[in-house]
Amino acid sequence: MGYQEAAHEDTFRAGRALGLNHLKLGMWLFLGSEVMFFGGLIAAFLHYKVNNPTPETGLLDVGLVGLNTFVLLASSLTVVSALAAIERGDTAAMNLYLLVTIGLGTAFLGGQGYEFVSLYRDGLTLSSSVFGSSFFTLTGFHGMHVLVGVLWALSTFVRGMGGAYSRNDHLGVEVFGLYWHFVDVVWIVLFTVIYLI
Amino acid sequence: MESPAPTASRRPLSYAAVFLVLAVITGIELGVKGLGLPRAATNVLFLLLSLGKASLVAAFYMHLRRDNRIYTAVFVLPVILFVVFALATIVI
Repeated sequence: MGYQEAAHEDTFRAGRALGLNHLKLGMWLFLGSEVMFFGGLIAAFLHYKVNNPTPETGLLDVGLVGLNTFVLLASSLTVVSALAAIERGDTAAMNLYLLVTIGLGTAFLGGQGYEFVSLYRDGLTLSSSVFGSSFFTLTGFHGMHVLVGVLWALSTFVRGMGGAYSRNDHLGVEVFGLYWHFVDVVWIVLFTVIYLI
Repeated sequence: MESPAPTASRRPLSYAAVFLVLAVITGIELGVKGLGLPRAATNVLFLLLSLGKASLVAAFYMHLRRDNRIYTAVFVLPVILFVVFALATIVI
């Protein structure tokens, strides 16, 4: 193999032929599949909501969920700030932002848990009606994604404390951020579809 | 694995500004919802505001605004399919 062929193969292997990074492309493909996953659930919810208006939507506490929405939006700011910090080489700030993210994610889950318990007390359960089934399935799967995100943030924080990331090597933080922001985007859509319209 | 060098668009100040816009839009949404206006009048507004918020997060926090366009295509194509499916389920 000649020098030029070897160089070309190296470039291809590194995923740089199109200016792409394999890990990031893989995460974007995963997020694309997640769009279809949540898209199916949202479409089912919309189909039910449009064709079967129900007073059960009056049980939803828009104020509480609005507060939870602010919490999740704030967590996106802390995640992107963590990335900006490590891009400056400031590991301590990155770890602090990740720690705040873990706290905000946990607070969101706490708020969602409180909402679920309140709705169950009011008689809205997973099996009480089609609305209950579609509501808890949709918001429950999103909550599971937030939980995964919190665990991922914890893992990134622990690795950050161990010095795994630096100014020139922080792709792990960026890929975690993509996942977290996607979960935020999904919530922005769910908040509108379930609670506002 | 080496990461790309930071650029001017990744300044914490611009991130905070985006958060401020997101928070204000959410506040507007809650305020309009609280007014109890007819759904027909507010639904389109809520959907447009939601689209704006999601686009801001994707463009600035997920860096699609300045990243490789192939990442954008990989993400936006399923989003378009989702919108078509959602509209179909409402219409049918």
